[in-house]
Amino acid sequence: MTIVSIKAFRALLALALVGSSLTAVSAQTATTRIVSAANTFLSTLDAAQRQKVLYAFNDEKQRATWSNLPTSFVPRGGLSLKEMNAAQRTAAMALVSSALSPRGYEKVQQIMEGDQVLKTKEGNNPIFGKDLFYISILGKPSEKDPWMLQFGGHHLALNITIDGVRGVLTPTLTGAQPALFTLDGKTVRPLGQESDKALALLNALDDAEKKQAILSYKLADLVLGPGQDGKTIVPEGLKASAMTAPQRAMLLDLISEWADIIHQSAAEARMAELKADIVETWFAWSGPTTATPGNSITAYYRIQGPHLVIEYAPQTLGGDPAMHVHTMYRDPTNDYGRSPTAK
Amino acid sequence: MSKTLAIVAVIVALLVGPASAHRVDEYLQAALISLDTDKDHVEVFLRLTPGIAVSSIVLASIDTDGDGVISDAEKRAYAERVLADLSLSVNGQRLTPKLVSVDFPQVEEMKEGLGEIQIAFNAALPSGGSNRTLVFENHHRSRIAAYLVNCLTPRDRNIRVLAQNRNEDQSFYQLYYVQADALSPPLYLKWWSGLRGWNGWAAGAAFSLFAALLLLFRQSLLTRFRGA
Repeated sequence: MTIVSIKAFRALLALALVGSSLTAVSAQTATTRIVSAANTFLSTLDAAQRQKVLYAFNDEKQRATWSNLPTSFVPRGGLSLKEMNAAQRTAAMALVSSALSPRGYEKVQQIMEGDQVLKTKEGNNPIFGKDLFYISILGKPSEKDPWMLQFGGHHLALNITIDGVRGVLTPTLTGAQPALFTLDGKTVRPLGQESDKALALLNALDDAEKKQAILSYKLADLVLGPGQDGKTIVPEGLKASAMTAPQRAMLLDLISEWADIIHQSAAEARMAELKADIVETWFAWSGPTTATPGNSITAYYRIQGPHLVIEYAPQTLGGDPAMHVHTMYRDPTNDYGRSPTAK
Repeated sequence: MSKTLAIVAVIVALLVGPASAHRVDEYLQAALISLDTDKDHVEVFLRLTPGIAVSSIVLASIDTDGDGVISDAEKRAYAERVLADLSLSVNGQRLTPKLVSVDFPQVEEMKEGLGEIQIAFNAALPSGGSNRTLVFENHHRSRIAAYLVNCLTPRDRNIRVLAQNRNEDQSFYQLYYVQADALSPPLYLKWWSGLRGWNGWAAGAAFSLFAALLLLFRQSLLTRFRGA
């Protein structure tokens, strides 16, 4: 080996070391921030409240206690925002925010606002509203050992596992009803991008690709919703290996609507994993292929890869399916961060 | 949905209030088929969720003595009735399903349109070739049903699903699969290559050509190293 090539090798090694340590520092910063926010939140609680919030890390019952349904139908563990004073609420939401990206946190807030709109629309129905979202912590907030943050209520279930530098968001359920509303004079569509980007991808397919992607049967609901942890079904639709590079980029951009809910460094690691899997990822569509301008689609779609299941399922309950949607985001190989090597 | 049922659905929906959170006038019936729970059997997991507007009709057919309690005998009898409304066949041979487990929610949950009945059953697979066509049909409460049916991804690498067909409402499901451990080499190659349109001879010839090319490549590498 020549002197030049030895020098080049050393330079590359140094760059790689700097790169990896920068990544570690960035991820460590995120974990440090989340742990700090968790401890701040816990410090605002009295003993009885703290007892309600904290669970053992291996509490499988609590881990699986999440749903799309209102909390009066499926009671959640933990402490609700309703049971907190203003300072405690602020600390709870700061904890949730610390674990998410800015857009992810905005989405969560919009889902909660949507439930408040539903409450008003349903004659101040006490089963809905942004007070009825629960927070719980499984394990002890730590920068080294694994622990979990759960936050959810009607149409929301965030299951966030923190394990050192790793952050895992699966399984997570998002939903919206109404899927379009006005708040402070602004139109809000909590899951609007999930609808618009999927329709744009469908429209970017040629006729033969569309024929492959569009399923010939109806889908009334999520297939792998609450209670279906760790399961995978045989994929269907159009495989991304048959897509063009721009179509694959659109598919990845659509996937990022879920993957990017978590904080930046965890989202980047997850997107890198999903990008590596992209040719093994499938896109399937069932239902109408158009949408009323400004409204969401009324079709079901599913994205499925070796480490991914995403489902988008409009609901007929309550009238217009464009106004009521459930979505599911899973990594069947790593739900609740159980795989020690996954991103 | 019949006119009467539609009227019942509207009335119930108005009476119960928060209809927007419930499944309303459908009886969701989701089936997951497992091919590799046990190699000699196929297992089916059913989740049945009657919507709030149809729960009273479904409940009446379960709680046959009308005492407001679902006894073990009533649970089993209902599960057997569900099984009688299903059909499962492999390569045209009808299978006999046997109940594995039955789990019922509380009556109150069912009345709210939230309760999920879970029924697991299995059926012995007939012995035969490696290429199999499984047909699953569900006609239980077809007038109010919303069917879902899927096959769980086999964990056993020797089982490979080739294709699935369904009718529009998913009451009919057809699954083509192969059990690779029973395959002959040309078909095995055909399976992995994904070139399922090839006949066995063509696949065999391709396999032989590929092996010969590998051998030639190895030989040329060895020659190069010896010459260096």
